Order: sequence, then C-alpha cells, then structure tokens
Amino acid sequence: MQDMETTDTDKMLKSFFDEQKQKVEDNGFSQRTLRNLPEQTDRTWIVWVFALIGVIIATAIAINTGLIVQTLQLLQHIPVYYWLGGIFCFPLVGGIGFYFAQDRTYRLI
Amino acid sequence: MSNTDDIRWVAQVALFGDKSAFDKLTCKYQSSIRRFFLNLTMGDGPLSDDLAQETFIKAYLNITSFKGISGFSTWLYRIAYNVFYDSARARKHYDDIDEQEIDGQQHTLSEFSAEKMDIYKALKILRKEEQTAVLLFYMEDKTHKEVAKIMDCPLGTVKTYILKGKEKLSVYLTNAGYGNN
Repeated sequence: MQDMETTDTDKMLKSFFDEQKQKVEDNGFSQRTLRNLPEQTDRTWIVWVFALIGVIIATAIAINTGLIVQTLQLLQHIPVYYWLGGIFCFPLVGGIGFYFAQDRTYRLI
Repeated sequence: MSNTDDIRWVAQVALFGDKSAFDKLTCKYQSSIRRFFLNLTMGDGPLSDDLAQETFIKAYLNITSFKGISGFSTWLYRIAYNVFYDSARARKHYDDIDEQEIDGQQHTLSEFSAEKMDIYKALKILRKEEQTAVLLFYMEDKTHKEVAKIMDCPLGTVKTYILKGKEKLSVYLTNAGYGNN
C-alpha cells in the first residue's frame, strides 16, 4: 500500500517537474563563454614528444632484431607486378576505410 | 551526441586546449546547467548566467582533473553545485533571498493549474539540500548515485533528502490541487 502511494507520489512529482522543465535557449551564451575562456599554453608538443619517443623505440627494436635488414631483403624478392597491384589497390582500400570512418550522412547508392 | 563525443571533446580540450571542442560541450550542456541555476536562484536569470559561465570556465581550466569515472555531465554538475554554494556563501544570497522580490517576479495565482504552477514557491518550502537533491533527481534525471557524487555526500543522506523533499512537495502540491485537474 505504501509502495503504491510512493509510486503515485513519484509519478506526480515527475510529472510536475517535467511540466516545469524548459529548454533554456542559448541566446549567445556559448559565444560569450567562449570569448571569456582564458588562454592556455599550447600543449601540442606532448603529442610530438610521444611520437618521437615511439619512433626511436621502434627503430631501436627493428635495428637490434635485424628486422630492417630482413624486411629489405624480403622486399627485393617481391616481383614488380605485386608492387603495382599494391599501389593500385591503395585508393580502393583507402576509399573504403574513408567511407566507414565518416558519419553516415550519405549512402553510395 | 553520445558520451563518446563528450570523451573525445574532453580529450581535445585537455591535450590541445581546443576551444572549439569546448564550445561543443558548452552548447550541449548550457541549457541544463543554466536551468539548474535558474531553479536554485529562484529565477534570477542574470545571476544564473554568471554562475553558469563561471562553471564552464572552471571546467575548462580543470578539465585535466576529469577522470571519466563518472559522466562529464555529472562532473559538470558537481562544479556547478560548488560554484553555487561558494557564491551563496559569499553573497549570503541563499538565505537572504527577499521573498517579496521573488513574489514580485512571479505571478500570484488565484486559480491553480498545472501549467501555471509556480515551481519556485514549491521549492521554497524545501531546505537547500533537499532543493538541490530533488531538482537533480526529478528535473535533471540524475540517479541517486549521481546525485550523491554531485553533492559529495553519502548515498543514504541523498535518499533521505529526496524522500523528505518528496513528502513536503507531495503535501504542498496536493493542497494546491495539483493532479486533480
């Protein structure tokens, strides 16, 4: 019985607050806030530092394990038409990847 | 716009200080934060906008402290809650709200109807903690746990605030004839 009353009260309050809930229009508020944001130091360098560290580590591993030499030797044995096939496939693979990475606001067909 | 978008924008702001990403967050949450302040300040629009702007600026400056454990919205409300109570303490606004001023802002209702119900008068019968908890729970659709995080108090305490607020509002609204229409 008490649970029923609680549910009814909850419904009444929910309904009351839903009726009072209005969307506050922006009216330039976001722009004003954006203008008042303080300048912060550019932290883009963090990305470059980590990228550089990654490249250095990867290169060191590749040299120490002989991976670079092996890869170069392997590449020498790949026939030319394989290379050409790979190059011509690139736009196709890239295009498919690009299509799936987009917001689906359009369709091919 | 999902929570994934929020995380992406937060990362852009935190890493690059990207203001356009922060603008997207502001556009998404300005309505709910300003409405929250409007209700807490009993309809004081200019004060609400000032407090909302302070909230967003604080969020921008401290965005690296957002851990992503709770949602961005909950984190933002937590800042808003602190901004409001800091402001209330500084101005003694909360306790000294002039009732006549509030009455002047609102229409005096001779005949009760759901559409014209004065939410501020209803909220005035609650204690400030109850107001906040009830607003977050019923109007901003936050869960008990989220309200507890926002108000930084135990879950049991939040449930008590909401229960007491609910009881008082229930009596008030029933006496005012709400729900009989």
